[in-house]
Amino acid sequence: MGEGQREGKKPIVELDGVGKTYFRDKEPVVVLDNISLDIEEGSYEALMGPSGSGKSTLLNLIAGLDRPSRGSARVAGQELSGMSDSALATFRSRTMGFIFQAYNLMPVLTAVENVELPLLLTKLSRGERKKRAQTALRVVGLEERMNHYPRQLSGGQEQRVAIARAIVNDPRIIVADEPTGDLDRKSADEILTLLEKLNKEFNKTILMVTHDPQAAERATVIHRLDKGNLS
Amino acid sequence: MIPVAYNLRNLAVRKTTTLATAAGLGLVVFVFASVLMLANSIERTLGRSGRPDVAIVLRKGSDAELASGIEAQQVSLILGNADVAKRPDGKPDGVGEIAAVILLPKLGTDGESNVQVRGVPDDVMAFRPSVTLVEGRPAQPGSDEVIVGKAISGRFKGLTLGQSFELRKNRPLKVVGIFADGGSSFESEVWGDVHSVGSAFGRQGSMSSVRVRLLSPAKFDGFKASIDQNQQLGLEVLRETDYYEKQSEGMNVFIGALGISIAFLFSVGAMIGAMITMYGSIANRQREIGTLRALGFSRFSILLSFLLESICLALIGGAIGALASLAMGMVRFSMVNFASFSEVVFTFEPTPGIMLGSLAVAVVMGLFGGFLPAVQAARMSPIKAMRG
Ligand SMILES: Nc1ncnc2c1ncn2[C@@H]1O[C@H](COP(=O)(O)OP(=O)(O)OP(=O)(O)O)[C@@H](O)[C@H]1O
Ligand SMILES: [Mg+2]
Repeated sequence: MGEGQREGKKPIVELDGVGKTYFRDKEPVVVLDNISLDIEEGSYEALMGPSGSGKSTLLNLIAGLDRPSRGSARVAGQELSGMSDSALATFRSRTMGFIFQAYNLMPVLTAVENVELPLLLTKLSRGERKKRAQTALRVVGLEERMNHYPRQLSGGQEQRVAIARAIVNDPRIIVADEPTGDLDRKSADEILTLLEKLNKEFNKTILMVTHDPQAAERATVIHRLDKGNLS
Repeated sequence: MIPVAYNLRNLAVRKTTTLATAAGLGLVVFVFASVLMLANSIERTLGRSGRPDVAIVLRKGSDAELASGIEAQQVSLILGNADVAKRPDGKPDGVGEIAAVILLPKLGTDGESNVQVRGVPDDVMAFRPSVTLVEGRPAQPGSDEVIVGKAISGRFKGLTLGQSFELRKNRPLKVVGIFADGGSSFESEVWGDVHSVGSAFGRQGSMSSVRVRLLSPAKFDGFKASIDQNQQLGLEVLRETDYYEKQSEGMNVFIGALGISIAFLFSVGAMIGAMITMYGSIANRQREIGTLRALGFSRFSILLSFLLESICLALIGGAIGALASLAMGMVRFSMVNFASFSEVVFTFEPTPGIMLGSLAVAVVMGLFGGFLPAVQAARMSPIKAMRG
């Protein structure tokens, strides 16, 4: 894993007046009102707020899964608001690592095959892909489980495989939507320690949505969202 | 690209659904392959009966031997034509024959069916050297003995070596030999003495057809012209290959139309089955698809992946159907040849082309059945990954 050395210059995430309006039966629902937010490269930030306040929506916009209805979202030097679907897909594969609440591993693929998935979008050779996937599994401490299927792993182990998948492409940003939401305290703490390690040792920028105050405390900055606005 | 292993293992995980759907697709492939194999057999069976250097002479206007009549004097005129090849003994290489059908009880069923009887001259084996006796002995010339083609031997009452059957009331014929002819339609005939057969049917002095071997296939046009020229004869000349090809065409059109419409009807059902299976599979994997999209896989690669899965599913069905159709090779199938109104026995003859064609049908069904579900999968938003 290389270390992105872009000390303190421009923020890696720059949101300016970002809003998101959904339409439910032609009725507009303003989910994000007017968000302006900068995130420095290499920081570890948490996003908290009541259910339905728009945390996931905001995270999805930053991750390039969705486009804002208004305002500008510059992430890793690219303006996301006008991007096509396929450009966003390429952006995600190069820049983002994803960690989901439900792990989202492919049940029919082994741990190492799951981790290898993002590398299938690169030009790497088969051997190189396998090597990198194994390295990523070593980082999360599951190298010896590489040929296990997800159903043969515990929840905490599944999430660690998912983290290996999130870092295998060496992304600059890792987004995590309630990564410990489905885990017991002990497994949750292991995951949080791992995220800390990725932030400190590998200089990954981490943005994490969480309901868990203990989780949020590990972050360097905590943002609070309420009714579509940062407070 | 999303690895094919992902699709194959998903099919394996849903074993029961996969197999049930594949069986439906397999049924179509089975019907399709069997029809083609049967059509192939018909074409080959009748095709084998014809030789390119042999011309068949019938009475003008009669499409088939059965409806034709040629007087004995005309026979020697035809055999005397300069384009007719000679045997080593100097005699013209041709035969005048009588074709008739009789109704015989079928063994193993209650029904009766027509059997083609051919009254042949003593030297018929010299004219058709491909015919060989596989059991028994040749019939005594001028006797009431017959030989029976191996395709129908044992399928009708009395048509077994050593047994007898009645050509007419009180005219028993005895089976003394069984012959083979490389799978041609002659193997579905009974061959008796031309005079015995002729008298039994009240046709002394009149033949149904005359076949002659020409000096070369190229001599056909000249031979035909010289017969046609003599209008008084009122005869018609055909290449033997064309004569049988016309018969096989009629049967093939019938079987083909029947078989292909059955296969088509089934295929609509099978494709809907594949579609339902794929829709179900995709509905169960919304979050997986969303995750693949989030990781950066394009809509197109999702589309491709699910089309591939549907095609793999169809190929499993195709393999089942094709294998089952190969088992039809054991089955002998008798059908009425409308040109002779008698039964001809066919088998199901596979070719590599038919097998490949059947798998191609499976692929096409997989493509059609899987298309709409794959489009739905490709349109799925990556946000699905975040929610359940
Ligand atoms: N595609 C959509 N169409 C319509 N409304 C939506 C859509 N996505 C989200 N919403 C609405 O936007 C609001 C915020 O949703 P969001 O998922 O961002 O909340 P959240 O803060 O992540 O909540 P939670 O803590 O429960 O996960 C909710 O009221 C939700 O119903
Ligand atoms: Mg949420």
